[in-house]
Amino acid sequence: MPRIDAHLHVFTKASAEFPREISDVWPAEREEPVEKLLDEMEKHRIDQAVLVQMAGASIANHRYLLRCLKAYPNRFLGIGLVPEGHPNPADHMAELTDNTGIIGFRFSTFGGPRDIFAKMDVREFEAYPIWKCAAERDYVLWLYPNAINAHLLPYLIQEFPQVRVVLNHLAVCPGKGKFSWDAFGRPQIQVTGYNLTMHTTYRLARYENVNVHLSGQYAFSTEEFPYKDLAGWHRGLLTGFGAKRLMWATDFPWILEEPGYGKLTTVIEELLPDLSEAELADIMGGNAKRILRFPDL
Amino acid sequence: MILPTPEEKKQWEEEGYLVFENAIQGEDLKRLQTAFDYWAEACKEEWLDRVEAGESVATFYDIPNPLEKDPIFIDIIDYPSYYGALMDFTDHDLILLGPQVRTVAPWPVSYTGWHPDVGHDNPLHIKVQIYVNDVQPGSGEFGFVPGSHKRDAGPYTRPMRQESMPGHKTFPGKAGTAIMFNSCGWHVSMDNHSDGPRKSIILIYEKRTQGRVGPEQYAAISEHCQTPERRKLFSLDG
Repeated sequence: MPRIDAHLHVFTKASAEFPREISDVWPAEREEPVEKLLDEMEKHRIDQAVLVQMAGASIANHRYLLRCLKAYPNRFLGIGLVPEGHPNPADHMAELTDNTGIIGFRFSTFGGPRDIFAKMDVREFEAYPIWKCAAERDYVLWLYPNAINAHLLPYLIQEFPQVRVVLNHLAVCPGKGKFSWDAFGRPQIQVTGYNLTMHTTYRLARYENVNVHLSGQYAFSTEEFPYKDLAGWHRGLLTGFGAKRLMWATDFPWILEEPGYGKLTTVIEELLPDLSEAELADIMGGNAKRILRFPDL
Repeated sequence: MILPTPEEKKQWEEEGYLVFENAIQGEDLKRLQTAFDYWAEACKEEWLDRVEAGESVATFYDIPNPLEKDPIFIDIIDYPSYYGALMDFTDHDLILLGPQVRTVAPWPVSYTGWHPDVGHDNPLHIKVQIYVNDVQPGSGEFGFVPGSHKRDAGPYTRPMRQESMPGHKTFPGKAGTAIMFNSCGWHVSMDNHSDGPRKSIILIYEKRTQGRVGPEQYAAISEHCQTPERRKLFSLDG
């Protein structure tokens, strides 16, 4: 069974050939190229990976991702972005998925009522056309919902049960103002001690098309690797979703310095030590291969 | 004090729950509904801000510090219709752990799955859920597995759907109904597929153990606790 890293990012220096957004963390001259990733994968026996677009949602911003997917069609699948407020998201998505290796798109908002007590008409949600398009074209939706959007999800999932959904980073829904970068250049998300997502995204386990990737531990934990304070979260996800709907991921490159790619290949064994060999193999790659339809090597 | 009948005691021991229909009624129920609605509305926007900030659960909310907001929330803690049973089951050594004055939104999925609250090593832990509005089937009514509180019951696993739990019973009821249950038992809020919120109050009690609740916890309502019984219930004298 292949070992698949189900969520990471690569990017190159900003240039006319590969334009991208820049920030303090990914300034124009920084690069975390696919070759560096392949070295790590080789060293730690990881066969395939999901490359998730960052640093810009325009078609041009996707050029480096598209190049990587084209260069290594058997190694990688891609997740793209859609510009917020795009007048015709279906066209944007169609262009990016035209035999390119991009299989889906990542979102954090759904454009429905902020108040869970409001009348919910899913067709009025701003994200409705995107979900409809995903349902018609068999895209995967890669979701990292803001906390104020989490309650909207089941309405969309019920409306489009055929859409494969992957909840990112332990199904956490980050709160407004709770994001920062730590000394190692890694995203940090301040979360409450009591796991609020038990009452929102964890409850979506009922829907068979909803999956979760187990990654980003460093961003939520108050401990160093192996992030034992999150063992309960992992057990909760395993209990709810079962071993067939969880996928391991590293969130490369943020983890390269601390704790390092190699250590993260063991994080599932550390946090879920009672898994059977078959369950571990599923989480480490079998599920990603089946759910995301990775090609045979 | 209304003590439980032998039949009620038997049901409590064997099934782990009791239902008190019309436990609160008349003017007291109106007072409770009025205070609940007023404070739930007053606290809602702040709750939404906390949801947005990732600091509160998105699928239900509790009125913060309800005992300090209206005396009716204190009066229901030792309300006669069920207080005698609470005292009897705890050998007259009862403490309040806390109230949850809770509004549960309609949502396609219940906000929680089947679970017990405590293990058998815990001192007797009892909850009383009081419906503030009428709770019809399919609108977030309480569910319980009779007998699941017993040490030799189970093992139980959490099913994907609330209605798939073997042996469970659901408890729709009129406003003012109180359902008392042993928290070792497996219980849940059923899905709320209705158009409206489920309004209920969950009172949490335990048989006293030394130091479980400090005198500072309810110091703010001390003036409402003048009798020795109440002061003991609210752990006000240490």
